[in-house]
Amino acid sequence: MSKIACFVEKYNFTDPREESALQNFKAAAEKQGSEFHFLFREDISEVPRYDAIFIRATTDPLNTAYVVSKTAWELGLKVIDDPESITICGNKIHQYALFEKYNVPRIPTMFLNKDELHHKKISEIFDALGKPVVIKAPYTSFSRYVEKAACETSFRDVARRFFRKSDVLAIQKFTPTAFDWRIGVLNNDVLYVCKYMIPKGKWKHGAKLRGKPTVIWGRTVSLRKREMPSRLREVALKACSVVGKGLYGVDIKEVDGDYVVVEVNDNPSIYAGYEDSSDRDIYRRIINYLSE
Amino acid sequence: MTVLVVSNIDLTTKLQVVKPTTFLDSIIKEPTLNINNEYRYLKTGYYVSMHAEILGNRVIPSCENIIDSSRTPIFLLRAAKAGVLTLPVLVTDSVKKITNELGFPVLIFAVNPFIYDGYKIAGNKSALYRAMKSLGMNYKFAVCAQPLRGELSAVKTYFGKTVNQDIDIQKIAEKVYRIFGIPICKLYIQKTVDKAYLCGLQPVDKEELSEQDLKIISKEVSLISEQGEPFGV
Repeated sequence: MSKIACFVEKYNFTDPREESALQNFKAAAEKQGSEFHFLFREDISEVPRYDAIFIRATTDPLNTAYVVSKTAWELGLKVIDDPESITICGNKIHQYALFEKYNVPRIPTMFLNKDELHHKKISEIFDALGKPVVIKAPYTSFSRYVEKAACETSFRDVARRFFRKSDVLAIQKFTPTAFDWRIGVLNNDVLYVCKYMIPKGKWKHGAKLRGKPTVIWGRTVSLRKREMPSRLREVALKACSVVGKGLYGVDIKEVDGDYVVVEVNDNPSIYAGYEDSSDRDIYRRIINYLSE
Repeated sequence: MTVLVVSNIDLTTKLQVVKPTTFLDSIIKEPTLNINNEYRYLKTGYYVSMHAEILGNRVIPSCENIIDSSRTPIFLLRAAKAGVLTLPVLVTDSVKKITNELGFPVLIFAVNPFIYDGYKIAGNKSALYRAMKSLGMNYKFAVCAQPLRGELSAVKTYFGKTVNQDIDIQKIAEKVYRIFGIPICKLYIQKTVDKAYLCGLQPVDKEELSEQDLKIISKEVSLISEQGEPFGV
């Protein structure tokens, strides 16, 4: 029997679908005889009392979640998301550089340093990637800090905003599709398969309505793992292999009959009735991994 | 052995020094010494180390050490594991917890994505509320608290060396460099009558680097380049 702590923030309980998923994890743990406790920010000093830590709060090397992850790791606890996965997934520059190094099929990507924001470089980027391009801040998550630019003026405007926090940005070829594959992977094995549909007239899964702060999300269509094309599986697992052996959500686009990786996310969304619709065993498998 | 020196600081050395942006556009595969006054995550100093690691170069400092040294609770945990004296640490957003478990005065560092330097000392509950409001960004983030038992000093260190004459402080600076390999940093150390405790690490502003500091840094860079230390070759 192991004692599992699930590190959460209050916002993890605001969406009933996420809250329900968290309760499913708790039920799965208790069913196999483990203890499962929610650990909040004020209880971080209790990390050493547990055998495993499961992080559901948003991760980033600058967030409290990293402190929890690294503390657990240093103490020899089993941890999802492990610090290295947070470091690689939390910085898309790091991730794309690894994809390039290990030849992971990916969307054509260039990097832009802060002092390269000039006409010549921007022209080079448009020449290489076409118009529009997608400008991505390295810390992007939930479709935020990813914007399109079709001319030098808007390119400069977006880049300047993103350069406030990071000195390097990723620029990608604009690759519109009707949906992104979302492949859940745990320990180098596929956990679930979904299609994240892109809302009509938009190009991201989560998109803002013009002039409004509200974000609309495309539907999530869950599929059975056995229906997954083998090439899709191969690409998803290859992308994860350069990150680590934890729990990931890989975003993949289908382009001209092949698959290209958009990004690998640590701390993937798991909402009851969505990612778990076709493969109900995801809770058990994640808990088993933590209690091994 | 050739050591590639990448620096955003004008060093007084005859060695060939590459600017960070030049290195980021290159594929030079050599042990890399990354000299920067600040190794903040997402800033150029971090990306130089990241690029070197992707190229497969041994690099000082590593990305892991850059991140960990800037997260005070992790920095202190790893330092303590390696035998450096530290005081009990609390990561929390609860004033009550700090009051009950640490008492006063307490030393507070930020643990959030936006504040990377500075600290507050709280001698009573109302000062603690103010400190947590400020460093916790209106109580939105946790802070890192530790008791204040002695006199707090900010000590600039270069490759583990400091001009501070206190032997205990010099020993801590050396050890911290051995553990984290951050060439240029400012250490916060508390000194009681008989002991010195490590409290935190922060970047050094470029304006804080004196002529003498630059000479020390340049000398150390030359030594590393000649001897290949601490790349272990």
